[in-house]
Amino acid sequence: VNEPKSEKRPASILIVDDEAIVLDSLAGWFRQDGYRVETAKSGKEALRLLADRSFDIALVDIKMPGMDGLELQQRMAEADPNLTVVIMTAYASVESAVKALKAGAYDYVTKPFDPEELSHLVQRASEHRTLKSENVRLKERLEEISTPDPIVGTSAGMERVRELIGAVADSDATVLVKGESGTGKELVARAIHARSPRRYGPLVVVNCGALAEGVLESELFGHEKGAFTGAHEKHKGKFELADGGTIFLDEIGDVSQKVQVELLRVIEDKAVVRVGGQEPIRVDFRVVAATNQDLEEMVERGAFREDLFWRLNVFTIEIPPLRRRPEDIPALAHHFLDHYTQAMNRRPMELAPEALDALRSYSWPGNVRELQNALERAVVVGTPPTVRVADLPVRVTRSQEREEPAGRSLEEVERVHVRAILDDLGWNISQAAKELGIDRGTLYNKIKKYGLERPAGVP
Amino acid sequence: MSTEPASAPIEGVDFVPVGALPAATAGELVARVSRHLAVPCRLRRPDPELYPTLLTGRTQYDAHTLLRDLEARRDAPERILVAVTELDLALLVFTHVFGLARPGGGAAVVSLARLRPELYGLPADAALTLRRATAEILHELGHAAGLDHCQDFTCLMHFAPDVESIDLRGQTFCPHCAATLPPGLLAGSAVGEGVSGPG
Repeated sequence: VNEPKSEKRPASILIVDDEAIVLDSLAGWFRQDGYRVETAKSGKEALRLLADRSFDIALVDIKMPGMDGLELQQRMAEADPNLTVVIMTAYASVESAVKALKAGAYDYVTKPFDPEELSHLVQRASEHRTLKSENVRLKERLEEISTPDPIVGTSAGMERVRELIGAVADSDATVLVKGESGTGKELVARAIHARSPRRYGPLVVVNCGALAEGVLESELFGHEKGAFTGAHEKHKGKFELADGGTIFLDEIGDVSQKVQVELLRVIEDKAVVRVGGQEPIRVDFRVVAATNQDLEEMVERGAFREDLFWRLNVFTIEIPPLRRRPEDIPALAHHFLDHYTQAMNRRPMELAPEALDALRSYSWPGNVRELQNALERAVVVGTPPTVRVADLPVRVTRSQEREEPAGRSLEEVERVHVRAILDDLGWNISQAAKELGIDRGTLYNKIKKYGLERPAGVP
Repeated sequence: MSTEPASAPIEGVDFVPVGALPAATAGELVARVSRHLAVPCRLRRPDPELYPTLLTGRTQYDAHTLLRDLEARRDAPERILVAVTELDLALLVFTHVFGLARPGGGAAVVSLARLRPELYGLPADAALTLRRATAEILHELGHAAGLDHCQDFTCLMHFAPDVESIDLRGQTFCPHCAATLPPGLLAGSAVGEGVSGPG
């Protein structure tokens, strides 16, 4: 018979009808195109076949003695939720069509079939089934690849961070992640996104501190063609790209006052106007912002808009610096060691006890990122199966060689202590002053007074 | 796609008109089809007993019973029997068919009723109708000799859901389908180059 058939990969079809002539005609017709076809004369027989093997499409007659097509359709859906069922009916009626579709059928078709229509219907049903399967596979794959790196550490501080992530992820609340540089603020943002209902949407990361004001505006909000010199094409901004997902605004404290105003408007209106554009574009996003700065203090001195601060500070997660949770260092070290030995295809490595002691003793001013870099370096320079002290950065090992005060005078004890704190914090003057409880000016005076010098190799 | 190569040779193709098919039309069709075949074609006399039944509640005739009756009239397994009719053929489950054959069944029925341009509101064109009918007979002959449909859109065994598709399909078998047919059935001119390879 020369009739229309699908040109796609042949699907497997189960035809259920109590009339033998219908089964024979349809089976023969589909088989000519290489479809795998099985037939059943009753609902019972169809369910038996379905228990043994799976089908892509079932063509089910609505009117059969015993179990009718609608009941069979429901039983089939229970047996195989992915099966695409097409109901066949002898009489076209709105009632039967509604019944079939309400029962969950993909479509319904009236006898006698127009060969062309039946061909297209089966082709569409086959594509529908393929898309459904692909969708399931892609979601599984997405779950695999979008599972963020684990947040390692059992300290009370990190347990609290995990609790807060769990509490806020499901909601659509704006989250402000606070923490020193290198503590893993982006990791927290990724964990929130991955556990939120938006997880199948995009997570768009913007490092606000890395871009000049004009560039940041265009990056965030997009621009129209010809908006400025060099704007040769229309460009979607990060907010538009984050539609349906999450936008992570890192280093939010570095944003200029002008961009702060625009950010506030976009977050409040949930709409962006591209640079050079007029029309607002509705966008559905969730904001997670992060900073290593003291935003409250910035608000007080007028460097950060108060209204934006309150808009962002809906739910705060503060990540403690690594020096405040040294008990997490071994677990983190082992995590990174495993990661890099696998990534570099090296034999498994273990930390020598002295090396672990050195990692524990160091104050990690660069936090987890610095520890990560130290372990990456150790895997590169070390010889399996052991990471030795010599494989660690000099800055880390030197911290073990602490200078003892030469006398008991207050000045000598202060000199040694100030130097130790500066060394521990990689000579980060702001952090050291904060740790010592003095202002930066006083710290500079003490450095000058005691003739302290930044060691070579410390930036 | 095609089934495995058929082994039994075909020695000839017989045509039998069904219903009021003008003798000139029947003769012209046999002449046209025979140009594509390397075996002799014969036009049999009409058989008054060979007439399809009406489908219940419809004004169309049952292609299925006609094919069954035709298969019963085959007098030799090495000859294919083709019934050609002006009657509008259909199946219980289909609104219409252009033709019907069981794969390897040795018999085929073809209806001219829906090949005529005038059915679609276009001017009558006898040459076009004959061209379509020739293609349709060769397509059903392919089925009767064991072929299934072919994915190569230039091949005569590619399915055609409507007359436009028959016109676009091409008038030759692809090399793969030709090689699958019984040896010695096709004339060299009936084999095209094909575009998409086997199946």
